[in-house]
Order: sequence, then structure tokens, then C-alpha cells
Amino acid sequence: MAVDLNRALQGRVWKFGDSIETDAINPYYRYPTMEELKQHTMEAYRPEFPKEVRPGDILVAGRNFGCGSSRPGLVLREVGIVAIIAESVARLFLRNSIARAVPIFMAPGITSIVEDGETLEIDYPQARVRNCASGAEVELRKFPPLIEEIFAAGGLPEYAYERYSREVAAR
Amino acid sequence: MPRTIAEKLFSRHNLAGSDVAAGDILEARIDGAMVHYHANEPMHDLALQAGFKDGLPRVWDRDRVFVLLDHHQPTLSQKQADENALIRREVERLGIRCFHDSEPGIAHQMMADYGLMRPGELVVGNDSHTISYGALNCGGIGITRADMLYVLLFGELWFQVPQSVRVVLNGRQRNYPLAKDIILYLAGKYGDDFAGNMSIEYAGSLVPQLSIDSRMCLAAHGVEVGAKLALFPFDDTTRQFVQARTDAPFEPIAADPEARYEKEIVLDVDAMPFVIAKPHQFGNVGPVDEVAGRPIQQAIIGSCANGRFEDVEIAARVLKGRKVARGVRFIISPASQQVYLQCVKAGLIETLLESGAQIATPGCGVCQPKVGFLSDGEACITATTRNFKGRKGSMKADIYLAGPLTVAAAALAGKIVDPREVFDGR
Repeated sequence: MAVDLNRALQGRVWKFGDSIETDAINPYYRYPTMEELKQHTMEAYRPEFPKEVRPGDILVAGRNFGCGSSRPGLVLREVGIVAIIAESVARLFLRNSIARAVPIFMAPGITSIVEDGETLEIDYPQARVRNCASGAEVELRKFPPLIEEIFAAGGLPEYAYERYSREVAAR
Repeated sequence: MPRTIAEKLFSRHNLAGSDVAAGDILEARIDGAMVHYHANEPMHDLALQAGFKDGLPRVWDRDRVFVLLDHHQPTLSQKQADENALIRREVERLGIRCFHDSEPGIAHQMMADYGLMRPGELVVGNDSHTISYGALNCGGIGITRADMLYVLLFGELWFQVPQSVRVVLNGRQRNYPLAKDIILYLAGKYGDDFAGNMSIEYAGSLVPQLSIDSRMCLAAHGVEVGAKLALFPFDDTTRQFVQARTDAPFEPIAADPEARYEKEIVLDVDAMPFVIAKPHQFGNVGPVDEVAGRPIQQAIIGSCANGRFEDVEIAARVLKGRKVARGVRFIISPASQQVYLQCVKAGLIETLLESGAQIATPGCGVCQPKVGFLSDGEACITATTRNFKGRKGSMKADIYLAGPLTVAAAALAGKIVDPREVFDGR
């Protein structure tokens, strides 16, 4: 599914700590189907998360989000998370999110401007994240054009399909 | 301009042909692609989702794709058997020549055993511990399954050239492996993301003394401290290891003397205590003494971090003529069939069986909730890769990570102990 990074987003915040790991985000060893995963994602940190998360919520985290094994965070999108914003993101989780077009942003300082349950606004074109209540804001890192194209294509496999189709058509 | 190993690696592989430096984004030419038990996803499931009606239409080079069915050998469920069968069909259809099928083991160790990755190359794998190839001065980088689909089709992939951190290890090799203690110590002192998104370059007086086994442990654990690459310099030890396994040519990469490093960390290993990572994070590290006396029900040595000959050998040395403590399940899983064979020929397996240890089939199972589950309230000390909550089954179990000597000592004592209580560490 194509992702328009430029669409402005507003949502309620779920705030997590540092080094949130992929066994907790995507515990597929224990819960092999998406339906099961949706009921257990992030429960290692906050048991109420899978029950209380609502479509449109935003996940905020500290540094090194998504460390550990290489596993996509599709389940977070499935439970309704519209964006992940972290101080920093572990490289394989970032690669996974780009390749599967799961909106993810890096905004150093984000954890100091927002608390759990508050509302956050993400403005990608202006490279800003703002706490709607307090007005505090931090800068969000923009992606290079190649990565924006991958998001727009709906992910890297879709981007590959477009490139392959062009090659075949040119033969 | 002087350059790091990572900068030279990506410059050598840059499709645009120009030199690149830290921070640059490029599309790189790939020398080898390691695909393991999730091969069905890039070859089939994700390809269908992307629009390819019959699965992946081709692989870019049938000699540069290595498929190793590692995690699921022997299969533990019907689902795994069916996935393996699908992968076999896809490998046949795509004409992939290098396929290790009915051979249990860890893909990364088999890539080393069979000389499938070499110094100076850029080799990707859809597994986070692909970074371990840096032990051989090979640019091993873990990528995702969706990235792998792109690589399989085009033999190319986007990267950002990482900044580099120089880790200088000074000191003397002891009569036991040091690698695990070193990386745990560093994670404890500098944080479990001290090399986040960076390339680690190892240097210092200890490095020439380190075995390839120890280098692979340190390189594999690069990912546990956030790194993209974890690279060792090429030396005679590397040359002997590689040339014993392949006739293929290779061109190592050395850093320039004036290369620019984002930071430098210096560790005197002679002054380092035995350390342990406590539940539930790799960086939650302290001296072993802090938790000495904690009873354990399970001890493990294995995985791509510690399933090699020297890890099994130190366990056999500790346990020779002695018995695993009553109430402790001591599970040892060699990293590959080749490592297993080496251990058998050296008599280690006989020693370990006599002491009451269990030998598990080579593979990744002991490092995941697949082989050797824990129950509520149990504690496990393990020389494997990760200690996240639930990594060995129960969410109410405690997992401690330590070096193979400390694990073997705990298996003998039935509790966490300073290994010097049972072993003459020199």
C-alpha cells in the first residue's frame, strides 16, 4: 500500500522506553498468525497495549527502537498505529519499515516533548513534530529521495516490481 | 582522502563508480546473497504480494545466491516441513546452484565452513547475524526479507555508508575464549547501541592473537550493539582459514592510517573481570560476582555467537572427569555439522556426554524458543546471542548471557559462580 509521507497526522501517543526489541514487537515464535500477534504485540512492556490501542494512535519510543532480530513491525500497523517516532531506530527495524512501507520517523528529542496519552502532530513536509497541547516541537529527520520513492511505491518489493516491469517493457 | 574499511568497501561496490564517504547513500553491487529458512518469503510470498504472478521471475546470478535451510533442520512441525518443500521447489525452478538442504547447522557458520564469503566482498543475508562475516574481513550485512527480494532480482541494494567506530582491544589471550566477555563488557559500559548504525573496526594488540572462532563471536555480536558492519583486519590467520576452504580469489580491505573515526574505544582486556548480562537486555551487564550464587536450571552453549570449536572445547576442559550438577540441563549445540565433526574427532563430545551434558543438533534452535524451553521461575545461563524476555519460552523466566567458560562453570556448580572457583584461568 502506497504511503504518503506528506499527509499530516495527529494521534494519541503511546510512549515506550529505550531499546524496545523485536521479540516483544513481533513475538511470532509464540504467536505465528497475525490475529494472535495483534493480541500480544508489546505486552512484554505494557500488557494493556494490545487491548487498548486504537486506530490512529502514534507510538513514541526512545533510542534504539526495534533492536534484536530482523523482524518487520507490520503488526503495529495492523493494530492501528499510524506512525512510529523514536529518538533513534535500530538499523534492521528501520530497513524493514522502509521496505514494507510502515511509516517511521526519527526525531531526536521527541521523548522530552511528549508524555503518554498526549496528542502529537507530525508534519513531514515541514520536518516537524509538535505536542498539540503544550506546543513544544522538535525537528524530524527527512529521508533522502530514494527512500521517499520506496514509501510512495508501497515498499521495496513493489518498487522492485515497478523496475522489473519497466525493464521487461523496454526489451 | 583517507578512508575507513566501510568507506572502501562501499566505494568498491558503488554502482555509480565514484568514491563514497560516511553519510552517502548509494546503490551497491552485491557479491553474494545468503538466504536462509525464510527463503519462501522473498522468493514466493512477498513476490506474489508485489505483483509477480508466478513468484520471483529470476535470480540475478545463479552462482551468487546461497540458500541454506538452517533454522528448520530437522523440521519441528508440519508447517516447517511444508515451507522447506516450497523452498526446494523454488530453488529448483530458479536454478540456484548452491543449496544446502539436508544439513542442519547455522547458515553463517556454513558460509564460513564452505568458503562462500571472502575478504573484501559485500555479502548480504536475511538474518541479523550476517554481520559475523566481518570476522573474515568480509562486508557481511544483515538485510530484511523484502530487501532480499530486490537483491535476488537485481543483485543491487541501497545503503547508507556508515560512520565508523574503532574498538582497540589490548592485552593477552588467556587459556580460555575471551570474546563474549569483551562484547558484553563493552555493551555494559558504553550501551547496547554504542555502535548504532555504525561500522565497528577492531584493532589493537589482542586482535592478532584472536582465533577466527573468537573473531566470529565478536563480529556476530556487532548487531547486539547496533552495528551495520563489524570488521576485522585481514591477517595470516584469516588467509589460512579462507585458503583452506576456497580457491576463489579475493581482495582484502585495510583502513588507511589517517581514516576518520566517529569515536574510538580502548579496552585493556587484562584488567577486565568476568561479566554477565542479566535479564532482559544485552547491555544489562555487571561482574559475575554480582549474581554469584543464583541457582540455575539450564545452561546452554551454542548459536552463531558461541557454537564453535573453542566454545565446546572450553566446556569439555571444564567438565572433564566431572559431572554436571544435579538438576541442571546442560545443552550444547555445535554451530554446524563441520564444527560438530571437528568436536567429535577431538574427543570433546565423549567427554561432555560422560559428564552428563546433552548434545543438540547443530542449528539456531537453542537460541530461540525452539529447543530447550524454560518454565515459569526458572533461570538459564547461556552463551548464545540474546536474553530478551521470553526468548526461551516463559515470560517469567530469567536468562543470563555469559561466556562459554562461565556457562560451563555454572553447569558444574548448579549456580552462577566466578569461573575461577572451578577452573584455573591463566
